[in-house]
Amino acid sequence: MEMPVDVAGPERASLLALFGEFLKVSLCSVGGGGGIVWARRVVVERRGWMNDRDFADVLSLCQFMPGPNVVGITVCVGSRLRGPKGALAGVAGFTVIPLAISFSLGTWYLANTDIAALQGVLGGVSAAAAGLMIATGLRLLLPWRQHPSALALAALAFAGLVFTSLPLLAVLLVLAPLGVGVAVLAGGRRR
Amino acid sequence: MSDLSAPVALTGHLALLSSISFGGIPSVLPDIRHYVVEAHGWLSDRDFANFFAIAQALPGPNMILMMTLIGWKVGGVPTAVASALATFGPPCTMYYVAYRLWDRFRDAPWQRIVRAGLVPVTIGLIIGGGTVVARAAATNWRSAAVSAAAAAVMLRPRTNPLWLLIAAGALGGLGLLSR
Repeated sequence: MEMPVDVAGPERASLLALFGEFLKVSLCSVGGGGGIVWARRVVVERRGWMNDRDFADVLSLCQFMPGPNVVGITVCVGSRLRGPKGALAGVAGFTVIPLAISFSLGTWYLANTDIAALQGVLGGVSAAAAGLMIATGLRLLLPWRQHPSALALAALAFAGLVFTSLPLLAVLLVLAPLGVGVAVLAGGRRR
Repeated sequence: MSDLSAPVALTGHLALLSSISFGGIPSVLPDIRHYVVEAHGWLSDRDFANFFAIAQALPGPNMILMMTLIGWKVGGVPTAVASALATFGPPCTMYYVAYRLWDRFRDAPWQRIVRAGLVPVTIGLIIGGGTVVARAAATNWRSAAVSAAAAAVMLRPRTNPLWLLIAAGALGGLGLLSR
């Protein structure tokens, strides 16, 4: 399952396919953080545009950049496959139609319905979406299972977020240098 | 709309905040709330909370949707569109430039080291982020069980998560997860 990255380069995707797949990713992402789940499913599992390693690369890059992270994934995948046009096609697919639909539904809902009725559905969806995110993270961790230092870093990041009340940025600023330091000491032996 | 100062101020502020929202838009939500609720009074706290809930429950990029709704409240549909663009335009440009640079040096030895150091941290943060959301959603053992079940099912390769979300939403909508 783990292929060397640079065999033949990613398969060329049509702009329409990028638009359509990221439209799907966007429409399916409900409940916060779901974008990563769906993006991995489409990019890695269904289309094979990237392997898990490259996808995790893109995720880290986006995590360390400002902005809506899942849009960042779209930009990176689109640009990797088809350059600037690919990035635009992906972002257009990700944003235009879903925003138009959800904006219309949202304003209609605000004008006509009691918001409390939504809370129950929202609670269920968030609970499931959280589980999906955990599972997606665990799957991304699989290629690293032979590397104790990588697992330790992941555990520290997990603990920093879950067991302290530190903001994400603070956790990143502490662990990023630590992670790179550990990698330097390990001498880049892995991959 | 004769007075454009509010839409322009909002759009400019969103463009600025989205450009510094390291870790995602939620990291600047407190600042956005302060700006639109306290500093300018364009929205009430209740509006802000409602927009957040709606953005979470509807499909699509939820933080961009939330900013779109704020823009709509401030200046109608044109401001809604401008707010959406301000939220993802500047970061998209940065993502693009950063990824081009990253990709150009993808085989450089330093990048292998940076990757080995950063990717595990990112993955830990994703699992941690999911856990934090699960904990917030877990008002009782039933919601916690939904999170656990969703995670277990999703661990199988090539699982389609959509029906899990729909089922969980239905359970919640029927009131089976409350109390």
